[in-house]
Amino acid sequence: MTRVTDDIIIRTVARVFMPFIQIYALYVIMHGHHSPGGGFQGGVILGASFILYLITHGVEDAKKRMSELKAGLLSSFGLLIYSGIGLLCLILGSNYLDYGGLSTLLNVIPAQARSLGILGIEIGVGIAVMAVMFSVFFDISTGGILPEDEEDLGVNK
Amino acid sequence: MGLFALVFLCLYRAVFGPGVLNRIAAISAIGTKTLVILLLMGFIYNRVEMFVDISMVYALLNFIGTITAAKYLEMKGEL
Repeated sequence: MTRVTDDIIIRTVARVFMPFIQIYALYVIMHGHHSPGGGFQGGVILGASFILYLITHGVEDAKKRMSELKAGLLSSFGLLIYSGIGLLCLILGSNYLDYGGLSTLLNVIPAQARSLGILGIEIGVGIAVMAVMFSVFFDISTGGILPEDEEDLGVNK
Repeated sequence: MGLFALVFLCLYRAVFGPGVLNRIAAISAIGTKTLVILLLMGFIYNRVEMFVDISMVYALLNFIGTITAAKYLEMKGEL
């Protein structure tokens, strides 16, 4: 069980760093097709910021920011964006994940539609990876047992 | 080249070092040296702007990994 630390240096550094880490993760996701990175890498950095928060501020505070339920919903939502864009291409008459078919819907030329489509895919992958990273770390650090379940199950603290 | 030699000196401390704290500090130092080597590689290949991105991620994950290892040791009561 991850306890709350009373080390003020670590807590302050984590709190100050978190927005910058998240901005950098968004940069990696949005700029993925011009530089190293992309959806998965940006999602890992975004998940690392939440993991840093969980380590430094404890499970209780982290659950207020990002609960297990929210992480599960977000991972499904990211997958929905990914497969939704793919199926949208399929419905519009091209192959699965062939973004050129989106050009009629978005009213742009196919090259621009490909750029926008891959951006949408990367956003979906980033959200899914962030949520899965966080929920894996959350489950490991709590051992799958949440504090409110411990009284119900009679588990010793 | 000197940096590579220093990495191996840190690796010696990480493998044979007495105590866990020495190993954690050695691995953190290796991470920092790897970051500098990455940036120098960027200068060699004339694509610094790409290697800066990679090295920033490396520094971030190194930091979080060190904190996590220290936290784990504190939890186990080995300090």
